[in-house]
Amino acid sequence: MDAIRENLPLLAQGIGTTIALTVLGYAFALILGTVLAVARVSPIPPLRGAATVYVEIFRNIPLLSLLILIAFGLPDVGLLLPYFWCGVLGLTLSSAAFVCENVRSGINTVPVGHAEAARSIGLGFFGTLRFVVLPQAFRSMVQPLVNVFIGTVIGSALCSAIAVQEVTWVTQTLNIRYAQAVLMFMIAGAVYLLLSLGGAALGGVIERAVAPGGKDRSSGRAALDVTAGAQA
Amino acid sequence: MTPTTFRPGRRAVVAAAATALPLLGLAACSSDTGDGPDLGGGEGGDEGDGDSVPQADALASGPVAADDVIAASAWATAIKEKGQLVRGGTVANQVFSLASTTGGMPTGFDAGITQLLAKYILGEGGEEKVEYIDTTVETRETMVQNDTVDCVIATYSITAERLEVIDFAGPYYLSGTSIQVRAEDKDTISGPEDLTGLKLVTQANSTGIQAIEENVTDPADVQTLPDNESCVAALKQGRADAYVLDQGVLLGNSAADPDVVVVGEPFVDDPYGIGLSQENEDALDFCNTFLQEIIDSGSWESLWTATVGEVIDGEAPEPPVPGDLPV
Repeated sequence: MDAIRENLPLLAQGIGTTIALTVLGYAFALILGTVLAVARVSPIPPLRGAATVYVEIFRNIPLLSLLILIAFGLPDVGLLLPYFWCGVLGLTLSSAAFVCENVRSGINTVPVGHAEAARSIGLGFFGTLRFVVLPQAFRSMVQPLVNVFIGTVIGSALCSAIAVQEVTWVTQTLNIRYAQAVLMFMIAGAVYLLLSLGGAALGGVIERAVAPGGKDRSSGRAALDVTAGAQA
Repeated sequence: MTPTTFRPGRRAVVAAAATALPLLGLAACSSDTGDGPDLGGGEGGDEGDGDSVPQADALASGPVAADDVIAASAWATAIKEKGQLVRGGTVANQVFSLASTTGGMPTGFDAGITQLLAKYILGEGGEEKVEYIDTTVETRETMVQNDTVDCVIATYSITAERLEVIDFAGPYYLSGTSIQVRAEDKDTISGPEDLTGLKLVTQANSTGIQAIEENVTDPADVQTLPDNESCVAALKQGRADAYVLDQGVLLGNSAADPDVVVVGEPFVDDPYGIGLSQENEDALDFCNTFLQEIIDSGSWESLWTATVGEVIDGEAPEPPVPGDLPV
């Protein structure tokens, strides 16, 4: 236990970095993923194609390979990012592909008639999305998006491979000195468990808040506000 | 349910096309780098294969323990009965233990020590009866303690903290921590005292971190990366100003790539030992006797020449004294 007590500041800093990686990576992934999903349902074939290519590429590259490509491949083409931002970029690019597919399947749960009704009252493409389709779609996306969040939490551990000093990195570093692998990794495991459980609990709260059955207009607005909250 | 589609206004088309452009850029960018950066993985295989013949000579000269020596050790008897030595380690280290790309035995100094130990216990041909289990720095002590492996031979530095949880036979190799820099910096950096304020990189599974903590005042940053190739990439790309690690590995890098050079002399002694469970009380003495025998028979020296000697100039050093623990 001395290993823990003497290194509390380092551990705390590692946990902070893990949270920062996760929150930034997930927030950017929500934004990018939603934009991609809009592209995927848009009526413009090249746009749909581009978004599909993106999703298939970043959904199928192992996150570790992607991180190493970003950290050690991009400098070869002239872009040298700090390790932390390499980690955020990798998490964002990868999670955005999953967010996109979740949002797209959420959009597909909204009956076509709703969109047609929206058009008939004069709303354009973005108006239809903003006021009619996305508010309904977000309800069915809460739990899948929680899964992406948990994936981002867990994926952040891989950033230790590109020297981001998050909690797994701290654990490895302390273990080299104290040779207490089981204890160290139980602590790291507990941190990830707490973060994931926290995300899942928050997801549950959001899901109840946006559940249908309340006043339609207000719950629709809540769904959008809540997403804004999760990004902050 | 059919997918929802929308008929966009003209402005929407323009806006959507604008969003698509950066996405196309991203996709193009990712396929450009899709071939993967050349992290220098190639040079390892060449060296490993080139070593195979001299290393075989070293193995051929390895001693075999007499039956009563085996019988005196419960640990060795158990290994002989199951007909296999289970070694924890890595097979991804160029100089010390590298898997063969042609189906042969792993090559390198640690791999050679493992094969000599297997031959010593199991008799002629025993060097091929080794099961290589991958351990990481996280799992080494645990795998020794719970008998998943018979021993760990993996550039495993003997430290006071590790001695509290496991036993070490040896040291069988004295390494030194050294400094590697980009060729243009070789005149300004010559020792740990020149590293103050610089960005340093070392391997995550090494004692380089401690060497830095104990010898470098106020480095700007200490990065740890999982393998030698990414450390070299970080150094060459300017993410780090100096790479601190075992001299043998660094010299291997310089041999493969003239852009990076090793400066100064090693500044920390790093003794490698054979990790053994404290439960197997007789394993420690048995392995130390084994190490003394391969030193006396000249196998240690020919193994060094075939492996580490390929990347370090000069004669084989005096072997360390088994049982003479530095801490």
